[in-house]
Amino acid sequence: MPRVTPPERNIQLDALPDVVLCERATDGDTAAFEVLARRYGPMMRGYAVRLTGSTADADDAVQETLIHAWDHLGELRDGSVVKSWLMRICGRRSIDIVRRRREHADADTLAEVSDSSPTPESATISGSGLDALARSLESLPEEQRQCWVLKEMGGLSYEEIAEQLGLTSESVRGRLARARARLMRDMEGWR
Amino acid sequence: MSEDDTRRVGDHSLADDCGHSLDELADYLATGSSPYEGHYRQCPQCQSGLASLRSLGDLTRSLAEDDARTAAESDGWLQDILSNLRLETRAGRSIPIASDDPDDGLSETEGAVVALIRRTGDDIDGVTIGKCRLHGDITEPGARTRVELNVTALHGYRLPTLVDALRSAVAEALTTHTELDIQGVDITVTDLFGTDGAGEDQP
Repeated sequence: MPRVTPPERNIQLDALPDVVLCERATDGDTAAFEVLARRYGPMMRGYAVRLTGSTADADDAVQETLIHAWDHLGELRDGSVVKSWLMRICGRRSIDIVRRRREHADADTLAEVSDSSPTPESATISGSGLDALARSLESLPEEQRQCWVLKEMGGLSYEEIAEQLGLTSESVRGRLARARARLMRDMEGWR
Repeated sequence: MSEDDTRRVGDHSLADDCGHSLDELADYLATGSSPYEGHYRQCPQCQSGLASLRSLGDLTRSLAEDDARTAAESDGWLQDILSNLRLETRAGRSIPIASDDPDDGLSETEGAVVALIRRTGDDIDGVTIGKCRLHGDITEPGARTRVELNVTALHGYRLPTLVDALRSAVAEALTTHTELDIQGVDITVTDLFGTDGAGEDQP
């Protein structure tokens, strides 16, 4: 139904569509960029927590993503795809952070770090299939979990996952199969 | 894990009956095509396998949505990130400003002028500026310049009036604050806000 004249004085920044926010942010409007960061930050953080297994690493990934996005926003031809663009950068950053952490830590410290789950997020999910899935995901070996999350949450293809993790498509396929088998087994009780 | 293990997961012993493993079905879901598509369609085991693969995928995406909701509820982490973010200003080209002493080398940045134009637009009811470009050799004094603007207009305002008001406000602001020779302000209304399909592509 058409609204009557004129409903409001002006459009609030946080109500603007992505395209306009991207145009303004590309032109240097930090307030518009902050609206984008608030709009998609929570989604990115959730994704990054699942990929890195740590809220501290996830925050680093989101921060690096935003800095990269600000510097490269001008290269984004179509502002309507900014959400998937940000998620893609965030996935890449998350994997890089885990890789850097692995390179800098010896095997013993690493084991401690990756055993630090459950994350605060999963603790708040209660008594549901989501809870069971969260726990099952956290118990997967790192690469299997990353493959699963990149595919099912990030919507990446086998080839894209292979490229991000530095694996062959075949080994991605294998890791996904093992992850799937484990998740299905763990979820059986819930179903 | 052997292929056998993979086949036996869940309550589908697929291989026992039709020889198509869950992995094969997952590949089919991932790529959207398979030479056995016809078989999958009429095989109850494969149908059931596909259904459980889909529901595991759906559940994973529900978890992602739940993660995002949780992250949005406690946004202290986001505040921290935003306050630590040092975004470089976009200076763009340098626009000269005449001075009594040519050695002063006074100038203003293109970014500052674009921000001025944006603010000017935001002060006008019913219109929001998106993209803003200065066309012309603006690094030369008094350069002939055209301004290109994409704007979003709020539904309920008369467009010609809105565009005229914006055009004259922008021209006036530029005449006051720059020495550019403004040849015109080209305005494209790219979006109408408050009608169907506009401003609704938020999560």
